[in-house]
Amino acid sequence: MEERLYDLIFICRPDTPETEIDKLIATLTHAVEEKQSKVEKVEKWGTRRLAYRVKKLREGFYVYMVLRSNHGELFKELERRLRVTDAVVKYLTVRLDEEIKRQEKLSKRREKRNARRPRKTAPAAPGAEQAATAAG
Amino acid sequence: MADETHAPQQHAPSHHSSSHSGGRPPGAGGGPAGSRPPGPRRGKRNYVRKKKVCRFCVDKVDLIDYKKPEILQSFVQERGKILPRRMTGTCARHQRWLTIAIKRAQNIALLPFASEL
Repeated sequence: MEERLYDLIFICRPDTPETEIDKLIATLTHAVEEKQSKVEKVEKWGTRRLAYRVKKLREGFYVYMVLRSNHGELFKELERRLRVTDAVVKYLTVRLDEEIKRQEKLSKRREKRNARRPRKTAPAAPGAEQAATAAG
Repeated sequence: MADETHAPQQHAPSHHSSSHSGGRPPGAGGGPAGSRPPGPRRGKRNYVRKKKVCRFCVDKVDLIDYKKPEILQSFVQERGKILPRRMTGTCARHQRWLTIAIKRAQNIALLPFASEL
């Protein structure tokens, strides 16, 4: 099976010490690696305002991870861990590989089209040049 | 009705009205326009509408990122409703992607479902 790309975002309480968040990220990374999967990126967005109240909080500490895996059960495990952890108030996993594939396809097509376009406009430029020389 | 009374005096404008009433059933709309001199059409839709173009097509976006609420914000009403295509001019394909992105952003509290007063 082809490897799949996932986004995992979770929101911690803003009052959790950063060391604890780092520890949580480490345990998650460990769980990911146990399943022969990869953590591509970890980003700490820091404390942000939430768009609505979650567990009576107005702010939250966002952590964003990009994972590459071909074990779907891994996410069951990760989500279970996030649910159990008291510091985490909200999480979201999104599978993104299909959308990225589509994006690449479209980008490639656009590139191809752009590569073709100069050939069409090229004959016009020499023509303009000739007109300029004729005038001069 | 006014159309009929003025028609014998000014033939050209009435002709004009028949030409622009193209697709619609005869006599349904553009009635009063026939009595006026030719020019910009008067009536309910007097103003010239600015042509809306899909912002994502202009920027050549192939993937709408749900992690950027600043971009999504402009396609959402003040209270958090997703704006329809007819308001924003987004093309069908990008609107489809946009709604998905907005809904994801709502799920992770980047955008409100309904903002409180």
